[in-house]
Amino acid sequence: MSLLKTSRKYHKWLMLFLGVQFVIWSVTGAYMVFFDIDYIHGDSLIENHQTKIDSNKIDFSLKQLLIRYPDAEKIELGIFINQEVYRFNQEDEKFLVTASNGKQLSPLTESEAIAAAKHLYTGSGEVRDTELITDNPPFELSRRVYSSLPAWRINFDNFGSPSLYISITSGKLLAKRHEFWRLFDWMFNFHMMDYSDGEIDNWLLFWFTLFSIVAAVMGLILTYFRVFKKETIAAVSQDNVQGGSV
Amino acid sequence: MPFIRKIHKWTSVFVGIQFLLWLASGIFFNNMDHTKAGGHTYRSTQKQVVNVDSSRLVDFKEVLEKFKPSVSITPTNILGQPFYLLTHVKGLYRNFENEYTLVDAYSGEKKVIDQSFAQQIALKSYTGPGNIVSTELITGKIEDFARQKNATWQINFSDNIYTSVYVEQGSGRLVGHSDEDKRFADFFFMLHFMDYSFLGGEPGFNSLQIIIFAFVTLWLSLTGLIWTIDLGLRGQYRVKYFSKVQGVKLFDKNQKSMGTVKLSNHKNLLDGLIEHDIALPSTCGGGGTCGRCKVMISPVSTPTSADQLHFTDKELQQGFRLACQHFSTDVEHMTLMDVTEAKKHALVLSASRFVSPFMKELRFKVKDEPALPYKAGAFMRFFIPAAKGVSIPLNLPENLKPHWHHIDHLEYEHLACTRSYSLAEPSTNNGELVFTVKIQTAPDHKVIPGVGSSYLCNLSLGASIDAIGPFEEFFAAPNSTKTMVMLGAGSGMAPLKALIEEQIAINEKNKNDAGGNNRPIHFFYGARKESDLLYAKEFYQLALEHEYFHYYPTLSQANDEWLGATGYGQQLLELNLDNLDSIDNLEFYLCGPQSMMTETMSLLKEKGVQESDIAFDVFS
Repeated sequence: MSLLKTSRKYHKWLMLFLGVQFVIWSVTGAYMVFFDIDYIHGDSLIENHQTKIDSNKIDFSLKQLLIRYPDAEKIELGIFINQEVYRFNQEDEKFLVTASNGKQLSPLTESEAIAAAKHLYTGSGEVRDTELITDNPPFELSRRVYSSLPAWRINFDNFGSPSLYISITSGKLLAKRHEFWRLFDWMFNFHMMDYSDGEIDNWLLFWFTLFSIVAAVMGLILTYFRVFKKETIAAVSQDNVQGGSV
Repeated sequence: MPFIRKIHKWTSVFVGIQFLLWLASGIFFNNMDHTKAGGHTYRSTQKQVVNVDSSRLVDFKEVLEKFKPSVSITPTNILGQPFYLLTHVKGLYRNFENEYTLVDAYSGEKKVIDQSFAQQIALKSYTGPGNIVSTELITGKIEDFARQKNATWQINFSDNIYTSVYVEQGSGRLVGHSDEDKRFADFFFMLHFMDYSFLGGEPGFNSLQIIIFAFVTLWLSLTGLIWTIDLGLRGQYRVKYFSKVQGVKLFDKNQKSMGTVKLSNHKNLLDGLIEHDIALPSTCGGGGTCGRCKVMISPVSTPTSADQLHFTDKELQQGFRLACQHFSTDVEHMTLMDVTEAKKHALVLSASRFVSPFMKELRFKVKDEPALPYKAGAFMRFFIPAAKGVSIPLNLPENLKPHWHHIDHLEYEHLACTRSYSLAEPSTNNGELVFTVKIQTAPDHKVIPGVGSSYLCNLSLGASIDAIGPFEEFFAAPNSTKTMVMLGAGSGMAPLKALIEEQIAINEKNKNDAGGNNRPIHFFYGARKESDLLYAKEFYQLALEHEYFHYYPTLSQANDEWLGATGYGQQLLELNLDNLDSIDNLEFYLCGPQSMMTETMSLLKEKGVQESDIAFDVFS
């Protein structure tokens, strides 16, 4: 059998089994490259405030803090919405304390979390609902932030259903998600044929890709014959005779 | 579908190579060692525990007032020392642009991360055998960490994998390690994401080139999917091993039972029936284009596009289908509309000679069988095997060589195919089958010559070839006494020659038996040059011997020596038509190219010739 015929046969048969995955690869791949990755990451959802710390407002000093919380570690001074705050750990517990009068804010109430989320959110929508995430974090949340839970999930009533995750203990933004990112995650998993554990080195992907390479090479051979080496194809259509003698 | 195929073909030209790169890099990611690909080979995993003496810490307020306004003050420890990191301008992410000041948490003094301090940080994170060979502050683009946008120290080590450690100048943060393994992986990422940002532009996978390629690839894969589905619906996915043999009840066109045949669903009905020596007419060899292999099937299955082309809606409802488009699984009963007695025969070449510069007369004998009877005008279908061919015939006689001078020598391979050729002599008892075959030369070097004609004409004496037939579709009207008018062109004289010889034999027999009517025969024959007039001598001779036979040769590219008629055969026919006989008493036999047919048909229609008085045989 000629190279052309072999290629056609195997391309046809391999694609019967691989074809759907090729469509999945190209659809998911196209989605992932068409959308700007910073947009996917929700960067446009967030106002990157540069509110500076006003040292005059720090009436609760570090020393006072250490007296009240003697085992405080990793003490940080920053801004929560528009007020100066201390964030620190003590015995596996995280705290948020105002720097103006030492009032403990953590754990944040729902309304405080909403206020923080609205402060950060660039959109115009109202809060649709909230949810306290403690254990069983949703699929969309990356494992990296699991240790920072619990958090308030604030869902906005806006295009793309944006959600902001505000840590209940530090008041910091843990994560931001909208439909485009959620969809991106699905696309990503389908792209690497990951139907279980989030790993790229799965055997399913390996075998599919291996056979796909064979099928694609066959396809390229067909392209070569059909486009660049027309003679052999033309052989079939030349002197196509009916009845009369040629 | 043709549009789908065209898109599939041209998109594959565009993205083909990139498609392979995607797959190859994909399989690399699937198998790569993540520690190596991340550049972590010589990266320390040790976490330093620092005991901070809280009482020695400088108060934040003091620090704040000393430096530029800050967004936050975060504690950090570098090389076992506690520091405060003041963030003056906060980026959304650490690798985005940030502005920091690093301050000693005990003294409140600013700590500048200079070369030696950066080197110490790098050494602390490094577990490899190398030493520092060079250190450089990079303020522009960092090739190893394309998304890092802050000024960064690059500390290079002298190990086997050329490790580089990156320390952010503003914060002392360890950006990461890179080495040959990571750079190798990054190369594949570059290919996969088409991220050629080292040539300029933003890094990442939203480059214009990948968007275009992804868009084209969408078309490639979607057309491929449609194609595959279409193949499936047309029953093109059949496995010989799993094929079922199915009994199909056959009926002839008078609904008389012909018994049951077993057909494998691995082959289409046309090919399956041939194995039972039942031949349906077909000139295209099963491509669904000639529309000759008509059958009526029950139950009525979905028609293919080829069926729709050749049958009316009413016929389709009745169950008319092309046998080459369907499989035995679709069918329980099948009525054969048009069965020829044709069977497959092995023919052995007994003689092969040139009758014009581009035409050969081939004589075959049927192997191990008695002579095949057939009506003059019949044709046979040859099974041309896949073979190597040449553009110029082998054993070309010396005197013909000048005619072939303009043909380039070309060797080529061709696939198996079937080709039909008319028998050039009437059926005789000696069992010889004669064909005149024109060797089709290629119009230009992009196309290879006619594979069927070349193959047959280069066949050596004694060689065997399979052919099916004879198919009788063009023949003399039975029991007619009308004057026969024949019009042929080029090699399209073969079936006419057979008809003429047959009729002359009948006339001669009648003459001897009863001295009855001799049917007049007028043969108009067009060719280009005098050398293309096939069997000219023989026809002149016949015209001399028999007063009822008239031969009208004409040339379209005559030279000065030619004294006969010039122009096309149909033009000569038009000139003479009124003088042959009354129009009602004429019977026409046409064989030649489509253009000749069309012109002649409209001429005859104009003259009022009945369609039933015209028989024709087109060839392309």
